Amino acid sequence: MRYAVGHSIPRKESWAKVSGRAKYTGDLPAHGTFFARLLTSPYAHARILRIDTSGAESLEGVKAVITGSDCPWLFGIMIRDRPAIALNEVRYAGEPVAMVVAVDEATAELGVRAILVEYEPLPFVIKPSEALAEGAVLLHPQLAAYRKVVDEVYPEAGTNIASRYRIRKGDIKSAFSNCDVVVSARFFLPPSDHFAMEVRCAEAAITADGTVLVTTSSQSPYSVRQQLSDVFNIPAGKIRVNVPFVGGGFGGKSSVVLEILAYIASKKLGGKPVRLIISREQDMETAPCRIGLEADIKLGALRDGTLLAAEITYLVDCGAYSDIAPNMAKAIAVDCTGPYNIPNVSCDSLCVYTNHTFATAYRSFAHESQAFCIERAVDMVARKCGMCPLELRLKNAIRSGDYTPTQVLCTPSIIGDLPQCIEKVKLLSNWNGGKPMAVGPNKVRAMGISCLWKTENPPTDAISGALVTFNSDGSLYLNTGVAEIGSGGKTHLAQILAETLKIDAGQVHVISQVDTALSPEHWKTVASFTEYMAGNAVYRAAQDILNQLRANGAEAFKCSADEIEVENGRVYRRGNPSSYIEFKDIVGGYKAQDGSSLGEPVLGRGGFMLKGLTALDKNTGRGRTGPAWTVGAQVVEIEADLKDFSYRILSASSVIDVGAVINPELMRSVVAGGMAMGMSMASREAFFYDEKGLLKTPNLRTYKLMHIGQEPDYRVGFVETPEDGSPYGVRPYSEHGIIGIPAALANALSAAFGKEITSLPLTPEMLWRLWVEGMR
Amino acid sequence: MIPANFIYIRPDCLSQAAIAFAQMQKEGRAPLYYGGGSEIITMARAGSISPGAVIDIKSIPECNVLGLSGDKLIIGAAVTLSTIKESRLFPLLGTACGRISDHTNQCRITLGGNLCGTIIYREASLPLMLSDAELLLYGPEGAKICAFNTIFNRRMQLKPGEFVVQVHIPATAINLPYIHVKKAAQEKMDYPLVNVTALRVGEEIRVAFSGFGSYPFRDFEVERALNDRGNSPKSRLDAAMAILSQQAHTDSEGSGAYRVFVLRNILEGMLEEWR
Repeated sequence: MRYAVGHSIPRKESWAKVSGRAKYTGDLPAHGTFFARLLTSPYAHARILRIDTSGAESLEGVKAVITGSDCPWLFGIMIRDRPAIALNEVRYAGEPVAMVVAVDEATAELGVRAILVEYEPLPFVIKPSEALAEGAVLLHPQLAAYRKVVDEVYPEAGTNIASRYRIRKGDIKSAFSNCDVVVSARFFLPPSDHFAMEVRCAEAAITADGTVLVTTSSQSPYSVRQQLSDVFNIPAGKIRVNVPFVGGGFGGKSSVVLEILAYIASKKLGGKPVRLIISREQDMETAPCRIGLEADIKLGALRDGTLLAAEITYLVDCGAYSDIAPNMAKAIAVDCTGPYNIPNVSCDSLCVYTNHTFATAYRSFAHESQAFCIERAVDMVARKCGMCPLELRLKNAIRSGDYTPTQVLCTPSIIGDLPQCIEKVKLLSNWNGGKPMAVGPNKVRAMGISCLWKTENPPTDAISGALVTFNSDGSLYLNTGVAEIGSGGKTHLAQILAETLKIDAGQVHVISQVDTALSPEHWKTVASFTEYMAGNAVYRAAQDILNQLRANGAEAFKCSADEIEVENGRVYRRGNPSSYIEFKDIVGGYKAQDGSSLGEPVLGRGGFMLKGLTALDKNTGRGRTGPAWTVGAQVVEIEADLKDFSYRILSASSVIDVGAVINPELMRSVVAGGMAMGMSMASREAFFYDEKGLLKTPNLRTYKLMHIGQEPDYRVGFVETPEDGSPYGVRPYSEHGIIGIPAALANALSAAFGKEITSLPLTPEMLWRLWVEGMR
Repeated sequence: MIPANFIYIRPDCLSQAAIAFAQMQKEGRAPLYYGGGSEIITMARAGSISPGAVIDIKSIPECNVLGLSGDKLIIGAAVTLSTIKESRLFPLLGTACGRISDHTNQCRITLGGNLCGTIIYREASLPLMLSDAELLLYGPEGAKICAFNTIFNRRMQLKPGEFVVQVHIPATAINLPYIHVKKAAQEKMDYPLVNVTALRVGEEIRVAFSGFGSYPFRDFEVERALNDRGNSPKSRLDAAMAILSQQAHTDSEGSGAYRVFVLRNILEGMLEEWR
């Protein structure tokens, strides 16, 4: 019998959100708070010759104007390469150049508009291939002198390469010579934005005793604490980071940017509270975006479709600063082939600096971009072999007993069941063999398929924790360091706790905010790792509670703890369930009928540290970066107009091996959300830059997102191959709905128009251009 | 957030509006007449304009008229796009208004505001270009009536202090057959990549464009080519496109070459429908 797992309970935060009462960072009361606004660079790359702040300083109400010369520090989570405010040089349009702090937001903005800056434009590079070309301008001539924060990052001095990772498995040279079919293709994906509904916001203050208080819309409160502590030499115990609800993160709020600026501003004002408010436009252009990607893919196969060899180059376009992008280059090297058993692999994955907005993690950590390239190439192989693209994928799907590119031996726990996902999505989507079907004059319907896989790339020693306290009614409070970013993670944790304690999930209350002073550290709310990492901590806290309840029960029932059962909020002696003590009477210790006190109050705690992960061998990439993989298969069906190149997405189907379904409706909606995000990104979202290196689509008038009414029929199915060592076997899943969607959509459109698509976004004009080029 | 303070004036009659404008201008406040405000608010927020005063014309009775009067349909400049659409008085203009922005904004944007805005599309102008419409203007010298096509050349050519009070459309034009095709880059609700608006007066086709060039226009040469019934539809189309192709505009919505492709498809469909 299941008590909580497998039940579709509403999210714990639903009522606060649907009633509009949930409070986000920018909603909090601002009594006595000062406000900061940013002036940003209008150049992609330029020397700052002069900044005249006198106009701002003379405004009544302006308290401080801060420029790069006030901020000598460098920041970065892998390489310390990024100033808080540009000093002497700007490396992207949108980079902070000055910050004005004033009594209110309007005065701060008027101050920003009164600052005069003189620039000398410098040559710039926008695409990674340009940045690697002979004679390209260097963004960071001093690259070798920067401090490395982690071991696995390899900046190459005298170049624009922030890091490089190599995968070598088997022997591609001889393998390609044995192939009947070889396809090669070059891919280009522009960067784009996360576009969380809540614009980033941060506030900082310093108390009289020197404690730094930060409130922020962050996925990484403990990383905020760490970075402020490291760079400013503040003891971590003197930093307290508070995260209220976060209005969507998608990875974009895992980077620490605004918090640093808010701290600098507060420090300048003697510790007074300062809230940094940025516009939607700055959220797009100043705060980090999604990576771009260029790729060269060569795949070799036998005539029967068996994949033998892959030679791959990925150029991850990280923009002006590295942030976490080197780790994304590593992550897509680890998963470079897609979920296929390819015995011979050579992959070089580079992270390259360019003069545009820097990038950070984006839902699925670059796998949506990597999958686009590989899955398009796999379709090209299928076309050359004359095979159904679904059947070719089924034939090559990675299985237990195969080795991954980094030479991890697959077991069912490690790799799940991709063949079953493919079989299931075939039914769910009414797969038609992948051939376009005419449905009217100039109108065709076509389907595209993509598989997906992803493992994680956390620090090998990342940790999580859970604390559980009881209320006098016997209900519980669950306290973790997980930020609620909209993926329902805290609801899943409540269900894991309830299931383990054999109670209804309604008895578990969650603390929705994170306060680093009160909540146990959780690495970051990223990588879909809430259920695995925090879930394990919660599971252990539940075991801890059960042990304490049994001890109390043993005293109350005068028996051994082994004989005590805990179920349905009751404690009783095995074999005698009708004589029970309710939680409310025993969680605070037990008061016997004669008034004597027995046992102790119950306080649950659980901690979890990742185990068994390794760094990658620098030459071969051999190693294990994550505990297991999550695999899946996705299909998109479109109706295309062959005359005007417009199209409509009719349906999108996903089957993901989630290990175990904790909350069916929640999981379905999170996967569908990922699919929607993938369709919007792939069909219309892009950061393109003009001949001056400026963003062509810097606001919501020009940057397009999919709207309600444009969405297709979403179909979501699950496979459940449990992962060992994960609570109830659940696998990371919350990012994964996005991964294969851009590729599946492009595969459908390639089939419909008979053209091999190699770039995004998939606009009618792009399809028309392919057709025009084909006519030449 | 609009950071700078400004004066808000809401006059009750035409003369008060003109007087307020003159006064604000004298004080160096660079005043703007204000209809629905959607453009002024967003541009002031972005810092591209900073008016020291706005004069809201929505309380002036003449600016809120909507109805047939004698042989004319009269629409006040402060009437919103959604009201025009729902009135069904001029189906072509209603269709055009119903495709500008989204419903929320259509409830705010006024006809005068769309015509006088700085965003290049001004799609409500196309039906007026085709229907022999007139404008009632008011300014420092009082009221005057002008042909729409003499005042609207790429954009409204108003004198300082002048504003649009009403649009007058001949009743004979409002129920003529029309074609309205708006193609955006990818969305249903968006700026036009190409908007083709056509009206048929007897056998004569009148046609105007927005989005295709960097301003809305009607071109008599193009109409002559399209109406040359001596020629086949294909050669009429070729002749029209030869004139039009030069005007194709490139921006983040699409390239000029793609606009030419899209426009040709639309005109081809129009000639087929009105064979």
